[in-house]
Amino acid sequence: RFERPKRLFSSFRRHAVTRSMASDPAAAAAEATRFDFLVIGGGSGGLAGARRAAELGAATAVIESHKLGGTCVMWNAAVHAEYLHDHSDYGFDVGNVRFSWETLKAKRDAYVTHLNRIYRNNLDKAKIQTIQGYARFTDDPEPTVEVNGRKYTAPHILIATGGQPSVLSEDEVPGARLGITSDGFFELETLPKRSVIVGAGYIAVEMAGILSTLGSKTSLIIRQTGVLRNFDAFISTNCTKELQNTGIDLWKNSQVKSVSKTDKGLEVTIVTKDPEKKNDEEKTSVIQEVDCLLWAIGRLPNTSGLNIGSMGLDTDEKGHIIVDEFQNTSRSGIYAVGDVCGKALLTPVAIAAGRKLAHRLFEGKKDSKLDYSGIPTVVFSHPPIGTVGLTEEEAIKARGKENIKIYKTSFTPMYHAITSRKSQCIMKLVCEGKEEKVVGLHMQGLGCDEMLQGFAVAIKMGATKADFDKTVAIHPTSSEEFVTMR
Amino acid sequence: AKGSEVRIEYAQAAKYDYDLVVIGGGSGGLACSKEAAQLGQKVAVLDYVEPSAKGTKWGLGGTCVNVGCIPKKLMHQAALLGTAVKDAKKYGWQISGTVCHDWPTMAEAIQNHVRSLNWGHRVQLQDKKVKYLNIKGSLLDEHTVKGLTKAGKETVLTAKNIVIATGGRPKYPTNIPGAMEHGVTNVALECAGFLTGIGLDTTVMVRSIALRGFDQQMAGLVTDYMEAYGTKFAWKCVPKRVDKLSSGALQVTWTNTQTGAEQKDTYDSLLWAVGRAPETKALGLDKLGIQLNKETGKLIVGADESTSVPNIYAFGDISEGRPELTPTAIKAGKLLARRLAGQSTELMDYDNVATTVFTPLEYGCVGLSEEEAEKRHGKDGIEIYHAFYKPLEFTVAERDASQCYIKVVCERGGDQKILGLHFTGPNAGEVTQGFAMGFQCGATYSHLLQTVGIHPTCAEEVVKVSITKRSGLDATVTGC
Repeated sequence: RFERPKRLFSSFRRHAVTRSMASDPAAAAAEATRFDFLVIGGGSGGLAGARRAAELGAATAVIESHKLGGTCVMWNAAVHAEYLHDHSDYGFDVGNVRFSWETLKAKRDAYVTHLNRIYRNNLDKAKIQTIQGYARFTDDPEPTVEVNGRKYTAPHILIATGGQPSVLSEDEVPGARLGITSDGFFELETLPKRSVIVGAGYIAVEMAGILSTLGSKTSLIIRQTGVLRNFDAFISTNCTKELQNTGIDLWKNSQVKSVSKTDKGLEVTIVTKDPEKKNDEEKTSVIQEVDCLLWAIGRLPNTSGLNIGSMGLDTDEKGHIIVDEFQNTSRSGIYAVGDVCGKALLTPVAIAAGRKLAHRLFEGKKDSKLDYSGIPTVVFSHPPIGTVGLTEEEAIKARGKENIKIYKTSFTPMYHAITSRKSQCIMKLVCEGKEEKVVGLHMQGLGCDEMLQGFAVAIKMGATKADFDKTVAIHPTSSEEFVTMR
Repeated sequence: AKGSEVRIEYAQAAKYDYDLVVIGGGSGGLACSKEAAQLGQKVAVLDYVEPSAKGTKWGLGGTCVNVGCIPKKLMHQAALLGTAVKDAKKYGWQISGTVCHDWPTMAEAIQNHVRSLNWGHRVQLQDKKVKYLNIKGSLLDEHTVKGLTKAGKETVLTAKNIVIATGGRPKYPTNIPGAMEHGVTNVALECAGFLTGIGLDTTVMVRSIALRGFDQQMAGLVTDYMEAYGTKFAWKCVPKRVDKLSSGALQVTWTNTQTGAEQKDTYDSLLWAVGRAPETKALGLDKLGIQLNKETGKLIVGADESTSVPNIYAFGDISEGRPELTPTAIKAGKLLARRLAGQSTELMDYDNVATTVFTPLEYGCVGLSEEEAEKRHGKDGIEIYHAFYKPLEFTVAERDASQCYIKVVCERGGDQKILGLHFTGPNAGEVTQGFAMGFQCGATYSHLLQTVGIHPTCAEEVVKVSITKRSGLDATVTGC
């Protein structure tokens, strides 16, 4: 077992800097600049891994083709929309209300730029070299990456290039390119009057919710009968219902057949199957004067330009890099974290995995890895969804129906006691075995976004239904309903 | 309910009218009586509201439903919406003119909701086959309760067991005429908070410290926020007299105990929030020799809620040394009912009770305050992880988040078991409940770190705390 003493790292760092500054372009192209840790991708996972490695003494560089970091404040704007509807019930005379997308976009963009600057400062403070450009693996025997004609190498290379929205080709759907993806959503300059969103995953649900609540007449096209089909059926059914309750025009069993441009906006042609009818009879409809068609049909890993084939890295059929529990790829010395691996596509997961890897590689903690079980997640729908652990279906499949007990409740949160607008709160606990260990928790309702974190800690600790019941409630809240379930 | 169909009607029914009579139809009393009925006991609950000095009365449900938690939270919500309107403008919402609040609209809506809850409780008692009597109960002897209706008509009931759950009422200072906001409890701050939030000019007069009994650093953050938010504070002041002026306004004179100076000002309304006390005089307790705490007037009880008289029990706000909270009263009531029905021996655990103060910046906590932890374990025996964070929603709204803070007090060394957890920020109640559960299960600092954060939320900041107070480093959260 080879353990590097820390002192070596600092000498390497100075060495690397001197070399890249002193050499001329021609020489640099031939000779690769050497680091201890080379990170491809400056997103959540890449930056977290790079910064932790640098803290542990590794000479680190991050290669990024675009901007550093990024986040979303759109959901909060939409939440305000709902509150404004409730104001008069609570005694407020609000008069005339109008929404200005331009105001919001300006502020949001300013905040994102601010965050970009913070990330850049963090990297500079940590003396991590940032290399702007696209990385591509060369055919050199030792794993080497080329960016803008210059070569870089390291004994440890991390691929954290993330993912991007999937798009349909013109062959699959003529006119598909007339639509935008979530990336395009953040470029929008004004609120679309008429929106059509395609997809049933959480991105489609969040986008539809935001657009509709901010005042865009919104339709959501889904291939089957419900959204969030990988979530617990309780949530899937409820979320589908709440979307319709908030005024979103939901098209079930439907797909977009083609899109064309007219001077009044886009014309979206949709085919709907009737599941009742045995034949494949389809009904065709057209939505006209659409000013925003948004594809939210999935995400694909950013691996195409990397030339990972030359490294012999195993990937799945969609191009995700396959890794083991320690984030090792099939090639020694090359690792991958985050969305590019296709598992648990969440910022905190990428960050945690990146950090654990840094500790394993540069602190000698050979067991350092992220536990991917019990990862909590929130969907910022209206109202928000919180979920951690197994769905009822997964639990029954894994442990058998006789070993699973379900506790459920639904109620109208007190916030709605005096509002004309109502929303429900639903909660479910999936318990296993005689001791009723909680293996899954699912909920949708006001406040569920902030409620989940604490319960996730307890569930990770192995909490049972009895532990829930032993906890005294905090009153009046919605969360107390979890500790008083019958 | 199935239980009441299988009623045991032998000797007990012949000897006493009821298996259990509960005096007090609030959070505790209702929970206890319904649970007992469900377990097959013959139960009656007596609820009666003595009008306040101003003649205010209310229906079934006790303090929580009528003049406590429920209307408080709804008014707090109204105030939050007032702030939300200001934030909305920053989020692109163009609202013409100034937004004003109409008190009668809100009050009527809240009263309607409260009445629906009163009704709901009556229906529930009926469904669970609990006999409800709107009469004022007092004890004649260990097994006899006397009830007086509003009109003065008398009823007498006998019971195998009697439970006293009459709660408390706000205290009025006896040496100062009139009323003035002069409080140290969460009630004072919560009321001042929502009054400010709906646009009213509000001052809080505090004799010494705010939120006595709570972590004082957190209390400071709560009041700092309120001051920045617009509530005025008159610290270390004691009211001396109140006079009604010919204009109808109230003039309050007070002493600033720090400077010794006397000051006065005029107000439209005065609110006492100087503490709560039980009303035990009319209960007839002295006749039976039931022991009371001389200072607080509360009933002294054992771990099983028993009083000094064998078959008489007391719990909830009326008993000494208990938290004045609805959920503990409910839980204690249910456990008591089970014990009395012979179904269980489980006692109420009053430790690890989480709570939330619904001030404009909410404060949720579970476990020990920093002061208490230091007292028990010594300054070197604890490690405090903390962070000043900024809720994402405050960014675009350009709101000051200086008081949004998290503090996790742990044992130093070993597993670093969590001794206390404190959180100020939006939705503190919703954030804290799950952590209270973890706390109940014996969570340690590493359990927090092992849990992946949910992004973007305020709650995730709790599982990300890493700076210790001991290090002296800046605890402000920057980016990821």
